[in-house]
Amino acid sequence: MNTQAASSAQTRLERINALINKVEKPTRYMGGELNMRVKEGDGLFRFALCFPDTYEIGMSHLGSRIIYNVLNNRADTYCERCYAPWVDMEALLRESGEKLFSIETKRALDEFDVIGFSLLYEMCYTNILTMLELSGIPLRSSERGEDDPLIVAGGPCVCNPEPIADIIDVFFFGDGEEVVNDFMDVYAEARKNGANKHETLVSLSRIPGIYVPAFYRPEYENGQFARLVKTEPAAPDTIERRIVRDLDKAEFTGDLVVPYMSIVHDRIALELFRGCTRGCRFCQAGFIYRPIRERRMKTLIDYCDGQLKSTGHDEVSLFSLSSGDYTEIHEMVPAVLDRYTKDRISVSFPSLRIDSFLKDDLEKMQGVRKTGLTFAPEAGTQRMRDVINKGVCEEDLLRTVKDAFEAGWQGVKLYFMIGLPGETDEDILGIAELARKVSREFYSMPKDKRGKGLRCTVSASTFVPKPFTPFQWEPQITVDEVLRRQALLRQALKGIRGVEFNCHFSETSRLEACYARGDRRLAEVMIGAYKRGARFDSWDEHFKKEAWDEAYAEQGLSVDMFANRVISLDEPLAWAHMDALVTQGYLKKEHERAFEGIVTPDCREKCNGCFGKKCTTHCEMHKAREEAK
Amino acid sequence: MRMIAAFSKLEPVKFVSHLDMQRLFQRAFRRAELPLAYSKGFNPHPLLSFATAISVGFTSGGEYFDVMLTEPVSPEEFTERVNAVLPEGVRITSAVDAGEFKASLTTLMQSAEYEARLSFAEPVEKAAFGEAISSLLGGEIIVDKKTKGGIKPVDIRPMLISMELAEFSETSAKLAIKGALTAEGGLPLELLFGALEAKLGTSFSRLVHRERIEMDWSDLKK
Repeated sequence: MNTQAASSAQTRLERINALINKVEKPTRYMGGELNMRVKEGDGLFRFALCFPDTYEIGMSHLGSRIIYNVLNNRADTYCERCYAPWVDMEALLRESGEKLFSIETKRALDEFDVIGFSLLYEMCYTNILTMLELSGIPLRSSERGEDDPLIVAGGPCVCNPEPIADIIDVFFFGDGEEVVNDFMDVYAEARKNGANKHETLVSLSRIPGIYVPAFYRPEYENGQFARLVKTEPAAPDTIERRIVRDLDKAEFTGDLVVPYMSIVHDRIALELFRGCTRGCRFCQAGFIYRPIRERRMKTLIDYCDGQLKSTGHDEVSLFSLSSGDYTEIHEMVPAVLDRYTKDRISVSFPSLRIDSFLKDDLEKMQGVRKTGLTFAPEAGTQRMRDVINKGVCEEDLLRTVKDAFEAGWQGVKLYFMIGLPGETDEDILGIAELARKVSREFYSMPKDKRGKGLRCTVSASTFVPKPFTPFQWEPQITVDEVLRRQALLRQALKGIRGVEFNCHFSETSRLEACYARGDRRLAEVMIGAYKRGARFDSWDEHFKKEAWDEAYAEQGLSVDMFANRVISLDEPLAWAHMDALVTQGYLKKEHERAFEGIVTPDCREKCNGCFGKKCTTHCEMHKAREEAK
Repeated sequence: MRMIAAFSKLEPVKFVSHLDMQRLFQRAFRRAELPLAYSKGFNPHPLLSFATAISVGFTSGGEYFDVMLTEPVSPEEFTERVNAVLPEGVRITSAVDAGEFKASLTTLMQSAEYEARLSFAEPVEKAAFGEAISSLLGGEIIVDKKTKGGIKPVDIRPMLISMELAEFSETSAKLAIKGALTAEGGLPLELLFGALEAKLGTSFSRLVHRERIEMDWSDLKK
């Protein structure tokens, strides 16, 4: 680097630092955190791992922590982080004309080779546009040229990538640990061979689990999505979701970057297992992370020891989709608590299911800090819980809360959903009834045996139909109906001692429903809303309803036609080319069983054949069962 | 035992808030595997307290904290172990075993010395600048101070012990400022700069470094 370039690089850094100095929370951008990866060298591929939400949310995301480690473990790649700038930083960047920059080196994003977004929540999509625009990168993939960075994306929203397919060059479908390495290998090879963008994309599209949307063209008939036509012969017809076969041996997070500011999940997060065997019919995660794959207890404890030492954290979360289902859970809880309690490390087990929770474990857990207990019965009546296949009964819940109250807990959160398919007012009132029973359970205990006062929070979110669930064909209820049911529940909960009601505003859930099941036309809607000021749509104080309404209208579309639509079982789905391993046939069968109120057993008990023919090749649990026979 | 330590807070951690500094040290102590003493009660926390906070964005060469340990550790070992695990920009510069000394650090504070580097938005003449300084020193400095009861006009001149011009050019100046800093409060530097900007008729960006806090250690030494 010559002197002039060095000096101009330095002044840029100074200019960026001056901006950081001006914002409300400089630690969102300053970097230099403990365990931040530092690499130097000219020949490195530059990967910007972007999270389309604030630092404190993005830094809490386990998947990004893993990918950061996996990419930086490669000798040829330097992966840096970037988060959506908060509105104060966005304003400063626009005013000063500086480009959005990475945390590690403060390099402008458009100087990276690859920009990768984590897609966890549909309502973060507009932040992707902010980040691209602030980097001087054209929003649509069709407008980007040979010199622009490659824009890639991964995460659960890739189940239906179509609503942002016009923005993203390459999607990663499924577990990211291995596919990012395959991606970088092929990308590096293409660069070495001097391949152009199209040639590079063709090579990438041959990697299992990679989807290049530009190679497919959607067609519409009568205002509805009709089919996707492949335009590049070399591209695959369907994209099979990638799975890490042996999670225990897979790369994990390495030494965690320790933030200066307090982040949303400010703790060590250890993933006990991936996948879930339960099959709750509303739950996308329950289907798209199958099959179940566990990490061994020893592996987890080794990670935990190492991370406690390298970070100084005093909180560990052992999480998964349903931690109580972990094979070694009853060895794990006491082992972890015995090991760490003396060092005042608090251990939490989120997503413990009611029916798998043992009283002894509860008593052990109170040894440290009493973090709140959370239960998710999801529905208020047994009938409704059978429809959604939530295999939990009232007795289980009441027994568990009683155990918890006896062990000294007095804070309980109960999560429910309203607007589930087939829900009646009776089901809504059932939620209040259940809360009343929980309250009674607490106050019927002798005063010296329980805590002072119950804090029972009842939360009711609005059901959002998601792809690859048996409810993917079902509509969301209308706004008026959401509001009516919320009011009904609020009224019914009135006067129950120690119970508080929480419900989320429904407008964002409506847009979430659109983007979950929508098609490619929604990219233009999103750009239209963005141009009208839509940002941080998941933050109530930033949500701009008019921006979205106008953007839908401009494209001749409406929220209703996506959110409130019943998709018939024989209609083409916008995500039909995505093979999530769980077959559409299986989902149809589950859809039928739901409306008959028939529960489907946990696949630990019996194989229900959710992968169809691929059960024998892709599901370790199926294989183990066959071998046992 | 009670360990009293002095530390510096420089780039880039100058942006880390007071609350976050507490967490930063707590985590560092854990990484250093020090025998921390904890408070009793529902939510035990390490017994760590700071003499005072420093504004976000200011650097400092001499801040103080004390921390309780359950087993004796020599000040040298303490310094070495903590410095080995601190992030860039924070360093323990010295530590001392407080022995029987019980007084809180906050009550020992007397005053603080600052170096402020100003960069003017528009060129300023030296004479005009000198006049602005003398005028501030020569009378009351009434500023609007936010209090619990709303915004109130307050004279901050009594809290300003001295202010001297150390360097000057048309576009920048360096000031050496000494202000009160006690358990009751300290010289509000930002308000002082606001008053100076008003006198000058131009704004300036500033880099502020707290060089030291003067502490009354006489009882500790006994």
